[in-house]
Amino acid sequence: MPLLELAGLTLRFGGLSALAGLDWGVEDGAVAALIGPNGAGKTTAFNVVTGVYAPSQGRVLFAGREIGGQPPHRISALGIARTFQNIRLFRGLSVLENVVAALAAAERPGFAEVLRTPAWRGRERELSEHARELLARLALEHYADSRADALPYGEQRRLEIARALATRPKLLLLDEPAAGMNPAEKDALRALVGRLRSEFGLTIVLIDHDVGFVMGLCERITVLDHGEKIAEGEPEAVRSDRRVIEAYLGTAAEDVPA
Amino acid sequence: MRPATALAFGALGLGFVLLEWVLPRALNPYYLTILTRIGVAIVAAVSLQLVNGFTGQFSIGHAGFMAVGAYSSAALSVYLGSEWLAALGSALPSWLARALYFPIPLLAGGALAAVAGLLVGIPTLRLRGDYLAIATLGFGEIIRVVILNIDAVGGARGFALNAPSGVDLRFEDLGAIYAVVALSVGVIARLAYSSAGLAFRAVREDETAAESIGVATTRVKVLAFVVSSFFAGVAGALFAHSEGYIHTNSFSFVRSFEIMVFVVLGGLGSITGAVIAATVLTAAPEGLRGLGEFRMILYSLLLIVVMILRPQGLMGSRELSFAPLRARLRGRRAAA
Repeated sequence: MPLLELAGLTLRFGGLSALAGLDWGVEDGAVAALIGPNGAGKTTAFNVVTGVYAPSQGRVLFAGREIGGQPPHRISALGIARTFQNIRLFRGLSVLENVVAALAAAERPGFAEVLRTPAWRGRERELSEHARELLARLALEHYADSRADALPYGEQRRLEIARALATRPKLLLLDEPAAGMNPAEKDALRALVGRLRSEFGLTIVLIDHDVGFVMGLCERITVLDHGEKIAEGEPEAVRSDRRVIEAYLGTAAEDVPA
Repeated sequence: MRPATALAFGALGLGFVLLEWVLPRALNPYYLTILTRIGVAIVAAVSLQLVNGFTGQFSIGHAGFMAVGAYSSAALSVYLGSEWLAALGSALPSWLARALYFPIPLLAGGALAAVAGLLVGIPTLRLRGDYLAIATLGFGEIIRVVILNIDAVGGARGFALNAPSGVDLRFEDLGAIYAVVALSVGVIARLAYSSAGLAFRAVREDETAAESIGVATTRVKVLAFVVSSFFAGVAGALFAHSEGYIHTNSFSFVRSFEIMVFVVLGGLGSITGAVIAATVLTAAPEGLRGLGEFRMILYSLLLIVVMILRPQGLMGSRELSFAPLRARLRGRRAAA
């Protein structure tokens, strides 16, 4: 059974269909990729899965359970975490606080905070240790006390992943994690994604513009264009698919039906 | 007891003695009234800081919640409390009876203001930015106008805290007032500076990201608003019982703006800043009184100059913290 399954998913904004009957499944434990040209609906698909938008039609199943239309914080609690295309950190908070905020996201401050009970102190220590451990696994421990917006770009991307991991997800959605990276950084990121999958027992879906980055990382690639799936399969096969080439490069003049 | 804790308790005790016994004998009633108003301003400013500075929701109707606290606590004291106080006073020494009674109107005023905050917060906190500001401003005025039309609390005549039995309902005890101020500031600071309280700042920094990591942002915003309204109500109750007479004019949007200025000038997200700004800006108009009609011009110029020189506010989002001092004391002990 796939961990995540979209069935006939449609999202309309007025007359525009951002997603048009999308069927897509991600197997448990896989690293899958969603690629496609600008405006294909990749981020929109993430937004529907994470509850930012409610689907107009169709279903979103996570571990066999319908989750379409639930608010994002509840979907996060079910075990889906994400990063954003344009990094969205808590910029004014410290690196450590970014992770602690995610670890403690379901808690609300109350009397224990005001009275600073021994149990509360223990919990604070536990959260801080857990957060430092997560930071260490993403090689960010030296930055723990810096402000998040003071980090170099690549580290900000990693911090966003650390924050997502702090929600203890089963499924991690990475929205263009390689954007703005040079080839060396991309190689490091590719290694990181592979490592995270095995260390945290994750299923990972990542978005990218083209097949290049996800080659050798993903077993299965899905290509979107205009909100529809136009190809799916192993990277090599997808790369030479005629519809994929057309989506990226356009249709040759002689092929256009009159 | 750790040396830093002992130091903190020592400082608090010294402050209490100073406020309770030394200042009331050393200063004339004019200065004591200003000190009381500073206390009220601090509670109002720090409570608004939780919503505006920490949670990033721009509310400008704070005086409305102060009015709820002031009027409900005053009505409680006049219509019911005076009898309780008289009954307590016949059995106990006067100071103890008063110490036991006065937390009741403060808590009642806070609780009613919190309920008002919940009712206003649930619909308005769905709005963002300017829309939220306008809605809270409107609700603040609605509360004021409603109270203005309730005859049982004096309507347009204002409401004096005179008990029919002649029991003294005024509460001008500086030491006790500042104990309430310290308690209020302490509670808000501890809520804001905890792991669970990071949710407030997470909402301020990026609401979408906060939702995505599992923060129920609407509930967090409503919680901040309710806690903030509670302490606004406490501030209102303190104001009513220290002044002995209240009028809805004291709770107009001008008062709301004044509190907002404390928060912005002190630095959004800094409790220390709110305390400093509330203190300085409550004292300044009095200190400038010698200048006659130029007083408010100078006050306004002061605000403009600070905003030009320090647009992030006096403290930015930093706090005056005892943590470095504590660390040093601990270090010294370890070295010894």
